[in-house]
Amino acid sequence: MQVLCCEDDFECWRDQARQLLRQDIAPHAVVWEDRDHRQLFASEPLPASTPRAGPTAQATRIPARLLDELKRAAQYRVSGRWNLLYRVLWRVAMGERQAMLAGDPDGSELQRRIKSVSREAHHLHAFVRFHPVMGRGGLDYVAWHEPAHDILASASLHFAERLGRQRWLIVSSRDAVCYDGQALHHRQPCPADWAALAESVRDNADPLWQTYYSSIFNPARLNPKVMQGHMPLRFWAGLPEGRLIPTLLSRARAGAQKDGQAEAVANKSGKVIRSAAYAKGDSLAGLKPDAKRPG
Amino acid sequence: MELIDKLTVLADAAKYDASCASSGAPKRSSKGKDGIGATNGMGICHSYTPDGRCVSLLKILLTNFCLYDCQYCVNRRSSDVPRARFTPEEVIKLTLDFYQRNYVSGLFLSSGIIQSPDYTMEQLIRVAKVLREEHQFRGYIHLKTIPEADPALIAEAGRYADRLSVNIELPSPESLIRLAPEKQVSSITGAMGTIETASQESRADRRAPKFAPGGQSTQMIVGADASDDSRILHTAEALYGEYRLRRVYYSAFSPIPNSPASVPMQAPPLLREHRLYQADFLLRGYGFKVKELIGAQGNLPLDIDPKLAWALANRDIFPVDLNLAEPQLIARIPGIGVRSAERIVSLRRLKRIRFEDVARLRCVIEKAKPFIITSDYHPPQATLESSVLRRQLSDQPAQMALWG
Repeated sequence: MQVLCCEDDFECWRDQARQLLRQDIAPHAVVWEDRDHRQLFASEPLPASTPRAGPTAQATRIPARLLDELKRAAQYRVSGRWNLLYRVLWRVAMGERQAMLAGDPDGSELQRRIKSVSREAHHLHAFVRFHPVMGRGGLDYVAWHEPAHDILASASLHFAERLGRQRWLIVSSRDAVCYDGQALHHRQPCPADWAALAESVRDNADPLWQTYYSSIFNPARLNPKVMQGHMPLRFWAGLPEGRLIPTLLSRARAGAQKDGQAEAVANKSGKVIRSAAYAKGDSLAGLKPDAKRPG
Repeated sequence: MELIDKLTVLADAAKYDASCASSGAPKRSSKGKDGIGATNGMGICHSYTPDGRCVSLLKILLTNFCLYDCQYCVNRRSSDVPRARFTPEEVIKLTLDFYQRNYVSGLFLSSGIIQSPDYTMEQLIRVAKVLREEHQFRGYIHLKTIPEADPALIAEAGRYADRLSVNIELPSPESLIRLAPEKQVSSITGAMGTIETASQESRADRRAPKFAPGGQSTQMIVGADASDDSRILHTAEALYGEYRLRRVYYSAFSPIPNSPASVPMQAPPLLREHRLYQADFLLRGYGFKVKELIGAQGNLPLDIDPKLAWALANRDIFPVDLNLAEPQLIARIPGIGVRSAERIVSLRRLKRIRFEDVARLRCVIEKAKPFIITSDYHPPQATLESSVLRRQLSDQPAQMALWG
C-alpha cells in the first residue's frame, strides 16, 4: 500500500495519479492522506519508475470532461477526498465509462460532490455581503464568508464581472481572495491584516437593507421551512438580515397572519386619495390629484 | 419623508407582485470596464424572506399613490394606506448601493398610476435610462408596463429593460370588469402584443437594438374571484401561445388591510397556488397540454401533484419500461424529472437499467415505483386500482408544512 499526500492541491494530485496510472497501480493499492490529518509515515515521494506494460500503459488519455469533473469534485471537503477521484479515474481508464455517471456507485458519489460544490459556489454568489470600506486597505468592499468547500479561488471571479473595476476582498477562516481592480489573488492561509479588516466590518448592520427585507416579506404567507431549505442556517450570522428573522417570524405568528402588511407600515397613518374629477370620469391626463407629492 | 420611511412603505406596497426573477437576460459583464453589473441568464436568489420567497431584485414601487381603484390592490385610491413617492434619483441610488453590497441582482420597478399612464410610464423609463446610460449599469432591470401607456413608450422601455411585464390580474374579463373598473382586458393584451411585436422585430434583425431580451411575464391573482383552476390554466396557456410569455405568475390573493367586501378575507390559498405552479411547469417544461391535466371545469386536486394525477388517470400507459421508453415518456413518470430522464437515457446506452440505478438518481422513488419497469423490477402495484394507489401516494401530511 502506497500512502501519498497531495497537500489538497489538484495539480499535485493529478501528477501523482498520472504516474500511478502509468505504473498500473490499482486504487486499492494506494491511499491519499488529508493535509490536515497526516500520519507520520505518510508521503513518501513517488518512486520514479519506468512504466509497466499494463493495459493502461498506452492508453492513459482520458476524456477532457472527466478531468474537469474531477477538478470540481476535488473542491469537496471530506476526509479522504482524493481516493474516490483516483478510483473513478482508474475505472474510466480501464474502459468503464459509467464510473463517471450518476447511475454508478462511484459515479453517483462523484456527481453528488460536484453538485454540492456548485451549490456552494452558488451560495457564495448569493450570500456574500459586501461592506463598503471607502478605500481602507486600498479596497472598496470587504466581506466575510464561510464556504463549506474549497470554492473561493474558483468561484470568486463572478464578483469582478459584477463590480467592474472596484477593489474587493472576501475572507474566510481558511483562505481569502482579493481583486485589485485588474486581477484576482488567492491566499491560503488568509493574511492577518486582511482577516482583521474583514473582522472589523463583518457585523455591520445596514438599516436600509434591513428595512427593505422586513417590508418585502409577506407575514400572511409564513413558510420558514422553505426559507431555511434555500438559505441554510449556517449563513444567517453573516447576513445583516439574518438577525431579523426570529423577530419577523414571531411577530407574524403573533399577528395571526391576518394580512400581508408589514407592521411598520400598519403603524403609519394612511391616506385615501379623493379625486372628484376622476370620479366624474374626466380624462386622466388633465387630472391633478391632491396626493401627487410625497406625503 | 426620509428615504428609509419611503422604502418601508414602497417595498411593502410592492410585495404582492410574485415575480422576483432575474433570469433570461443575455450575458453581460463589467469585468475591466467602467460601471457595474453583470447578468448571466441564470439569476441569483440573494436572500429568502420568512415567507419562503426569493429576494433577487430590489422590488419597489416608484409611488403607491394611485388613481385606480382595483379592489384586490392594497394601493387602490380608496385604500387607507400610508403613501409615499420616490424620486427617480432615490431609486437609482438604492439600486446601485444594494447591487454593490450583493443584496440584489437588479431592480424590479413598478408604480401606481399618477397623473396619467403616459406620465407614469415616462417616470419608470427615466430610472432605467439613467441607470443604463449615466451609471453604465449592466445588472437586471424589470419594468412593469402600464397597459394604457403610449406604445411608443412601451417600445422605449424595452430598450433599457431586460424584462417587461403587464399583469393580466384576473383570470377572466368579467372579474376584471367587476374588480378593476379602470382596467380593460383589451388594453392589457394590447400592451402584451406591442411587447411581442417589438421583440419579434428585434430578434429578426441582428443589427437592431435588443428589446427586453428576458421576454415578458404576467401575473394572475388566484382566489380573489371565483375562477376555477381550469379557467386559470386555460388563460395561461392562451397567453403562452399568443404572446410568447416567459412566465405566468400565480399569486394567491393575500388579504389586505381595510379589505373591501368584494374580495375574500381568508388566508391566501397557498397549496392551490403551489399546484398551479406545478401544472404550469408541466406546460412549459414537459410538453403537457392543459386539457391533459384538467377538464373544462374544476380545480386541480390538492392531495396529489398534477403529474401524479395525470398518471393515475392514464394507467393504460403504465408501467413504463425504462430500458425501452422514449425520453419524453420517461419524463412524464411521476417522481422522475426531465434531468433524471436524460440521465437514465445516457446510462442505458452503457448498461441495462436496474432498480438500484433509478434509486441512485435523484428521483422520488416512492412516487415512481408503481409506474416503472426495470431489468430486475416489475411493480407489484401495477394492477392496483388508481383510487387505492392515490391514497397511498397522497402527500397530504407532508404538505401541512406549508402552513408553517
